[in-house]
Amino acid sequence: MAGVSTKEIKNRIRSMESTKQITKAMEMVAASKLRRAQAQVLASRPYFEILSSTIETIVANNRDFSSPYLTQRPGNRVCYVVIAGDRGLAGGYNSNVLKLAWADLEGQDACVLPIGKKAVDFFRSRKVRLLTETYQEAEDVDVGDCFSISKLLSKAYRAGQFDKVCIAYTNFVSVLVQTPTTRQLLPLVPQGADQTGSSDILYEPDSVEVFDAIVPEYLGGMIYGALCESRAAEQAARRTAMDSATQNADEMIADLSLKFNRARQAAITQEITEIVAGA
Amino acid sequence: MTSFPLKIVTPDGLIFDGQAEEIVVRTTSGDMGVLAGHINCVAPLGMGQAMILSEGKKRYAACIGGMLSVVNGEVTLVPTTFEWADAIDLNRAERAYERAQNAISSKDSTDMDIRMAEARLKRALIRKSVASNYRR
Repeated sequence: MAGVSTKEIKNRIRSMESTKQITKAMEMVAASKLRRAQAQVLASRPYFEILSSTIETIVANNRDFSSPYLTQRPGNRVCYVVIAGDRGLAGGYNSNVLKLAWADLEGQDACVLPIGKKAVDFFRSRKVRLLTETYQEAEDVDVGDCFSISKLLSKAYRAGQFDKVCIAYTNFVSVLVQTPTTRQLLPLVPQGADQTGSSDILYEPDSVEVFDAIVPEYLGGMIYGALCESRAAEQAARRTAMDSATQNADEMIADLSLKFNRARQAAITQEITEIVAGA
Repeated sequence: MTSFPLKIVTPDGLIFDGQAEEIVVRTTSGDMGVLAGHINCVAPLGMGQAMILSEGKKRYAACIGGMLSVVNGEVTLVPTTFEWADAIDLNRAERAYERAQNAISSKDSTDMDIRMAEARLKRALIRKSVASNYRR
């Protein structure tokens, strides 16, 4: 009996060790990808921040609401851009952002532009109308793609296909903290009261044309920024998840080795007792 | 000369953050110069060369897409791409120029291909001219 259980324990230790090797390797890959993604986030953040604060100031000081990007429409047709990852095994990264987006979509006439395989699968299986499935691989989307997405969105928005555009992504706060966030992109809503009072803005050539040209740029920039944040968050989440998996494997191996040694010792003791008793 | 705070950011990072005396950029409605004390203003950028006069030195760059905004004396330039004349990869621009020209003259190109190639051609031309005129 003791012999069978030592063999079983041995097998379990061996399988645990191979799992640990995999999680360890994944952690290392995620760590090196994280370093690159983190550098990209830090580089793109000033752009993201300055772009959004500039647009906010312009909108807050704006008096001419003839541009379609500034008019609030009464309908509740909304388009969500949802950014998730391509692969699982990243802790709660995918499920957190998808759950948040899903809760937001509830009760609205929504369509989704998913970026990343997990987002595409999630919304497809829930039969949500998808605007396009072109962006299956979140890792391959570059600045150019972000601007094509923004062109597509602004064209559909101007054509009146939806009344609101929102984005759901994961904010990379630090290596240990990533928070899923949603944000409204269109229409542009003036934030707070106008502080500068009577300041007028000169639009060159005129307000409608300026907004027509700037808003797609703004959208593209925001999507790119959100994508950079999400990518870094994904790698960070995966790294943390794989790190704790490796630790768990270590603990279990230690536990099992102890059991194995005890069982082996018990078997030896029993054998000795039998021999002594027989003599 | 009086100076004003200028920030230039692209998706690749913060390119310039400091004081400048004058900038001239190509907007969609033509070249536009900004000096200190400019009225609040917003203009979308076209494709063209940009001149930044900072600390008495003129620097040139290829500046494509995005926008220029002046808010309460602070000037922010948010282009899609912005490359200083000495940072432009001239060989790459040259190759892009040739490729775009081939695509335009090729018989199998669709209208879409030709439009894309024309945009690439324009970008390559700007890079080439900025790089060859202002490189030191």
